[in-house]
Amino acid sequence: MQRLLTLLTIMLIFSSCNQGQHYQEHPPVYQTGDNQLWATKTFNDNNWKEERGNTGDSIFWVRSHISLNHLPDGPLGVNIHAFGSFNVYWDGILIGSNGRPAIPEIPGTESSIFSVPDSLSGTGEHLLALRSLQSYQQTTQRGVSIILDNYISLLRNPLIVMSIMNLMAGAFLIAAVYYFFLYANSKKKDYTILIFAIICLFFFSLLIVEYIKFYLKIPYTHFFIRMEIIGWLTFAIAILVPLYFSIQFNFKWKVPLLSLLFVTLLTVYSLNHNHYDWSAILYSLAMWVSAVVVVLNAIVQKEKGSLIILVGLILSAVVNYFLTYDFGLFISFTIIVLSMLYLHTIRVRVIEEEYQSSLLLSSRLKLELIKKNIQPHFLRNTLTSLIDWVEESPKKGVEFIQALAGEFDIMNEISDARLIPVYQEIALCKTHLSVMQFRKEMCYEWEEHGIDEAEYIPPAILHTLLENGITHSIPLDDGKIYFRLCFDSTDSYKQYIFETAAQNRPLGKDRKGGNGFQYIKARLTESYGDRWDFVSEAVPKGWQTTIKLYYK
Amino acid sequence: MMKVLIIEDEGRIAKRLERMTRTFFEENLASLAICDSLQKGLAYIEEHQIDILLLDLNLNGENGFDVLESVVAGSFHTIIVSAYTDKAILAFSYGVLDFVPKPFDEQRLGMAFKRINAKVKNTENSMKFLAVKKAGHLHLIDIHDLLYIKGAGIYSELHLKSGRLELHDKSLEMLEQLLPQSFERIHKSYIIPLAQAEKIIVQPGSKYNLLLKNGELLPIGRLRYKNLKKRLL
Repeated sequence: MQRLLTLLTIMLIFSSCNQGQHYQEHPPVYQTGDNQLWATKTFNDNNWKEERGNTGDSIFWVRSHISLNHLPDGPLGVNIHAFGSFNVYWDGILIGSNGRPAIPEIPGTESSIFSVPDSLSGTGEHLLALRSLQSYQQTTQRGVSIILDNYISLLRNPLIVMSIMNLMAGAFLIAAVYYFFLYANSKKKDYTILIFAIICLFFFSLLIVEYIKFYLKIPYTHFFIRMEIIGWLTFAIAILVPLYFSIQFNFKWKVPLLSLLFVTLLTVYSLNHNHYDWSAILYSLAMWVSAVVVVLNAIVQKEKGSLIILVGLILSAVVNYFLTYDFGLFISFTIIVLSMLYLHTIRVRVIEEEYQSSLLLSSRLKLELIKKNIQPHFLRNTLTSLIDWVEESPKKGVEFIQALAGEFDIMNEISDARLIPVYQEIALCKTHLSVMQFRKEMCYEWEEHGIDEAEYIPPAILHTLLENGITHSIPLDDGKIYFRLCFDSTDSYKQYIFETAAQNRPLGKDRKGGNGFQYIKARLTESYGDRWDFVSEAVPKGWQTTIKLYYK
Repeated sequence: MMKVLIIEDEGRIAKRLERMTRTFFEENLASLAICDSLQKGLAYIEEHQIDILLLDLNLNGENGFDVLESVVAGSFHTIIVSAYTDKAILAFSYGVLDFVPKPFDEQRLGMAFKRINAKVKNTENSMKFLAVKKAGHLHLIDIHDLLYIKGAGIYSELHLKSGRLELHDKSLEMLEQLLPQSFERIHKSYIIPLAQAEKIIVQPGSKYNLLLKNGELLPIGRLRYKNLKKRLL
């Protein structure tokens, strides 16, 4: 990545001239020692080395011969990429310094730009000499590269690149902040939101750190810190992007894939240490391959949005192929993150729809509960019996009316709630039994064991079981039907067992529990998601229903 | 003498029906039974001769409509006593004598009982099908497929347009009570759909015959001639 600026600048500045070749640059030569004559154009450096060698704390000179074929429009400038601190001589004339080449050294920056005086910038042979010192990072062998161009362009082009990249970075910063807030404020902690926020933040940081060199003076002694940061950011993004996809697309082999990816990235890191560009390319390749594996699996699983993501990934690969090096890397990263953003909006819509349908379910259940007592079968049969009681025994009729009023009262109280105290549910069952006793002229017995009054359950589910018990049972020999409710709890669940002790009526053609069971199951789902079990079956002494509510 | 069966799972309502039935028929009641489930009721019908069935449509969570076809095919009249008032039209289309909505009183139930002996056709009648038992199976005959109905003692012969002949367990008198206004009794042994009548043929000796659209001739009762003539105009 350290060559990014170089490459970008070359790409942008020489986009038209590269083929034309403004100049030819001969490989620089080195000599340890200090002699002002070495700045001159005419000095014979034939016996100088092509490597810097071990210069230690000593001054050394670098000479580079340049043949200038054409002049750029406007004033000539030179951009030097080198480690150390140095004075710059153009045809023997000092044109500037980068840091201070003396002990103690003031380190220069890796890239520096100098203006060449008009009087010395004619076409023909020129000599660039550097009087250098590299007293820090002495063992780092880093070549000297020289770029000649219009001085103004050398200064301005990085700013143009940077403005575009900062624009992109800003967009990702806002996305990161937005998704962090979204995560922090949502009740249901959705980790994909957090992961996406982190990816956006890392990508923002990556762009900022990459282009910070254009406006922050980084002495060559700190040059590699930035590269390290970039390396680790790329590493993290390469892990997080496939992780995000594997969660969003319900990828089954999440752990094996991500472990493999992690090991691959670590291997790349340890094998290519100091080869920052190459590492970054390998990181992104590993990320790309993992993401494609997840997305292909998602397409097989027919996951929503998977095709769009595949298109995004292929596009990013194409862009990466045609735009060389890091420039392409950033564009392709951007495409991937944008497709993730798109995927995220699809998911948000799905969640929205789920929420809407859960609201719908709740109101439907509420309606069903209210309907229980006004549906014709209940209401008209009750009224018919009531008329009969009033005609026969007004006193009993009044008792009947009061029992009915009691049931209506409780129904009214609980109809809005998704969960009600269990004692209220039991009270509802008891009033229902007294109403039914008047109607059926039968004797019902209610028993309960181990009830924890602090417990809550969805409204009217025991009531529904009781109704079923009344409807489908024939009294025992003593003329009675017994209902028994037991509660107990363990570490992992609590359960209600509801028993009807009676003779079961012969099953009708299609008695699978019908609407009553559907109501109970829908209520359990509404309040407990999938953390419940519902079993209702004939047992030797009648009918038994078990409702298990799991804690996790 | 009436034999009545009540199928009702609500104890109190069953007793109410029993009380009112006894009051209505007084000494004309030969027998009265109560069953609290469809299965028991159908078993009772298999073994006993009845004249009237009082049936609740929703029994112990089971849909009484499933058995409606089989009871209306029987030789007895069916009166539905139900909370599901919205099912009345459907019940009539199957040929029930009356539909008494719950809650009911003595007067309303009495009205239903009075239809049993009424000679006048009920304007509410909207029977659409005749359920027929044949070799243990039930099938429904659309009344538009009828050519005419001929009484045969306690049975009736259903002559269909297709030329087929079916037997119905109800007497001609009972069917006359259930069939809609578009049917006319032309003779003590014949009911026809008016749409099938072509013209009245008067033969010497004041003998009246009705020519049907398919060319068949049916006798017209002397006393029914005037009425039929009026209706055919």
